[in-house]
Amino acid sequence: MAAGPYNYSYIFKYIIIGDMGVGKSCLLHQFTEKKFMADCPHTIGVEFGTRIIEVAGQKIKLQIWDTAGQERFRAVTRSYYRGAAGALMVYDITRRSTYNHLSSWLTDARNLTNPNTVIFLIGNKCDLDAQRDVTYEEAKQFAEENGLMFLECSAKTGENVEDAFLDTAKKIYQNIQDGSLDLNAAESGVQHKPATPRSPISNDQPPSKEGCAC
Amino acid sequence: MADKEHGDVSSQQNNPLSRKLNKILETRLDNDKDMLEALKALSNVLSDNSLRSRRNLRSDIEKRSLTINEEFLSAFQAVKEQLDSVYGDVKAMSDCCADMTNRLKAAKAQTHHLISQTTSLHAESQKLHMKQEVAAAFLEKFQLKLEEIKILRGARDGALHEDFFKALARVKQIHSDCKILLRTNQQTAGLEIMEAMALQLESGYERLYRWTQNECRLLTGDSPDISPLLCQAMQALQDRPVLFKYSLDEYGTARRSAVVRGFIDALTRGGPGGTPRPIELHSHDPLRYTGDMLAWVHQAAASEKEYLQTLLKLCEAANTSLEENLGHITEGICRPFKVRVEQVLVSEQEAVTLYKLDNLLKFYHNTIAQIVSAESALLTTIMEVQDLSHRMFFNSLSCHANRLLDKVDLPPADLGPTPSLTQTLQLLRDVLACHDASVVPVDDKKQDYKQILSCVIDPLLQMCSMSASRLNTVDMAAYMINCIYLIQSTLALYQFTDTRLEMLQAQTEAQVDTLCSEQAAYVLNRVGLTHIYSCVQQQAEIQGPLSQLQGMDTITVKSAMNKFDSYLANPDSLTLPQCNLLLGTLVRETVKKRSVELICQAYQQMYDTIMDPKHEYKDPQATVPRTPDQVLKLLS
Repeated sequence: MAAGPYNYSYIFKYIIIGDMGVGKSCLLHQFTEKKFMADCPHTIGVEFGTRIIEVAGQKIKLQIWDTAGQERFRAVTRSYYRGAAGALMVYDITRRSTYNHLSSWLTDARNLTNPNTVIFLIGNKCDLDAQRDVTYEEAKQFAEENGLMFLECSAKTGENVEDAFLDTAKKIYQNIQDGSLDLNAAESGVQHKPATPRSPISNDQPPSKEGCAC
Repeated sequence: MADKEHGDVSSQQNNPLSRKLNKILETRLDNDKDMLEALKALSNVLSDNSLRSRRNLRSDIEKRSLTINEEFLSAFQAVKEQLDSVYGDVKAMSDCCADMTNRLKAAKAQTHHLISQTTSLHAESQKLHMKQEVAAAFLEKFQLKLEEIKILRGARDGALHEDFFKALARVKQIHSDCKILLRTNQQTAGLEIMEAMALQLESGYERLYRWTQNECRLLTGDSPDISPLLCQAMQALQDRPVLFKYSLDEYGTARRSAVVRGFIDALTRGGPGGTPRPIELHSHDPLRYTGDMLAWVHQAAASEKEYLQTLLKLCEAANTSLEENLGHITEGICRPFKVRVEQVLVSEQEAVTLYKLDNLLKFYHNTIAQIVSAESALLTTIMEVQDLSHRMFFNSLSCHANRLLDKVDLPPADLGPTPSLTQTLQLLRDVLACHDASVVPVDDKKQDYKQILSCVIDPLLQMCSMSASRLNTVDMAAYMINCIYLIQSTLALYQFTDTRLEMLQAQTEAQVDTLCSEQAAYVLNRVGLTHIYSCVQQQAEIQGPLSQLQGMDTITVKSAMNKFDSYLANPDSLTLPQCNLLLGTLVRETVKKRSVELICQAYQQMYDTIMDPKHEYKDPQATVPRTPDQVLKLLS
């Protein structure tokens, strides 16, 4: 039996935030299912998805919490920032208001997460370039001023979606390697699984990955 | 001619001499080769053609013949001797062969037994060989290999190898194959093997169980490392439901304590270097505190479900055990959670906050119900605290309402709302506003609204009536209209208040009617038409013309009508002060309009009566100079 997709070295917790209707749930769906979900209903509170990715040869499980953008859920979704290793902050490039609200989302993210949380700015719906309301340059500048990573994506075509999630993970991983992220704390948003499990299995057999390449 | 010749020949033949002659003549010497040969040979014998030699030819030839014969004889003598010797040899050989044949025969007779023995032995050997193959195949199929037994017994340190599962599967296979064996006539073997395999199976399962139990016991980290081997172990243990359940219980217990520890850590210790801060740091903010706890519980439940799904991914129909186990795992946090939330709820007085908490708990009840089963302790606990918050909220509301009734304020001079009314309405507004922002489904909302409204509005109305009871009719009507107006305008902003609004509207109507008739009566009274109007109304019971009645004479009527005329010139002068104190513009207009209508109606009746010749008013035109239409125009 193959080692299966369940062997991973880390779990990173992500949170996706941003105004209502910017396509947070669609981004998550595109990332986890590789499909575009047309007429996606409004998220109630929070929803959750997972996927295992590989960064620098390490298998990493992403546990992604997708929050509701509606104002009335703000109080609820605030509780989910806690312990996120990565925050994806999404706006809609065709609606300027969603971009204008970014600073309030950023304040929330900064206040409610730990200082090492990687915040990634995503301009969604870049397939609708004709209806563009926020230029790339402007958003890029905003990201640079606030020390955010930035990409324009399309949950519909899937463009850059993968990269946004992966780049965030790479940055988090890098923070771990630098030692700036302390893994021993339960709420760092990252959980490390030791490479040598404590179970006696591995003492007398090679790691299962090599053992069965079939 | 031929015939003649023929006749000649026949005649010639009859003569022997002629015949001889003929014969000689006919002889062609050069054709007779034999003769030529003979003559040639003879020529050799005859060395010289002399008489003597011719005479001696015969004897010479005979002599020669004799010599040749002698030579021949001697030559044959040698041949014969040779042949004799050959005969001797052959005879000896024949004897020898006969001897050998005899000996062979004897030997054959002697070895015959041996050969048959050998053949039988050979056959036996072949048979045995076949048996051996069959036995080997049988053993291959029905016996475990040495290393398999070793694997099943396991190493001393209790480690488990992946081959263990192959060996275990083989034991199972053999066990089930034995059932086929039992159907043949190899029952003893079948039974024995079956027994042996059953023993092996049991010890194998026991070992597997012990290993699994140990593994599970170790899974107390924040996120357990569930190895593929453990998944396989769970799959294999499915055949032993009791062991499967025990292993799963062991896992559940380990995870349960891990989750409790994680929860307590999040509550009291927080993240690294204090970020995120411990949840309890926000215990002064009931909503944040409870919301953070619930979000933590939600996330933990979702994670635990994932881990369980990983653990049981190879097991079929593991859904019920998964749900049961998830319930068990999450049960641990119920107590610390419940204690804290109860503390929050009990110490909270604010109805609005309580209501927000109630909605928050309701929301999380719905959210977490998507992860854990409805029977789980976690959901029951959330349900319980939600129920408590619900009761606390309505308790707080009814307390407030009771306080209203305990101490009823006197209406202020301006007949406006009392402070307690505005306060209560503000509270209601706050409550309903937070409901507007709440996250619960519409059905729950509707139910809540109904309950909240009856909890607040009914006592509120009661309070208003009580405080109004000490006032006169006009003041009471105006005061009630004002109070209801305020309540109405508060409720109108919210959903599901239609029935309430209708009821309030009806109450307003009643008060408006009262106020209008009071206003109309007041006007009539002030211009001195009250008596005239009541007489006009009672004209059916009065005999004779009205002008004959006391106080209904032309002069009195005329002077009253003059006063009425001055009222028409300045209608506002006779408005009741209470009407001006009405808060709602619309109501004020309605009261004005309706009282005008009432006055016009009364005037119409009086006008008709006075103009009626039957009542014998002199110069009725001069007595009531204005037509009802004119009055209506002037007043509106």
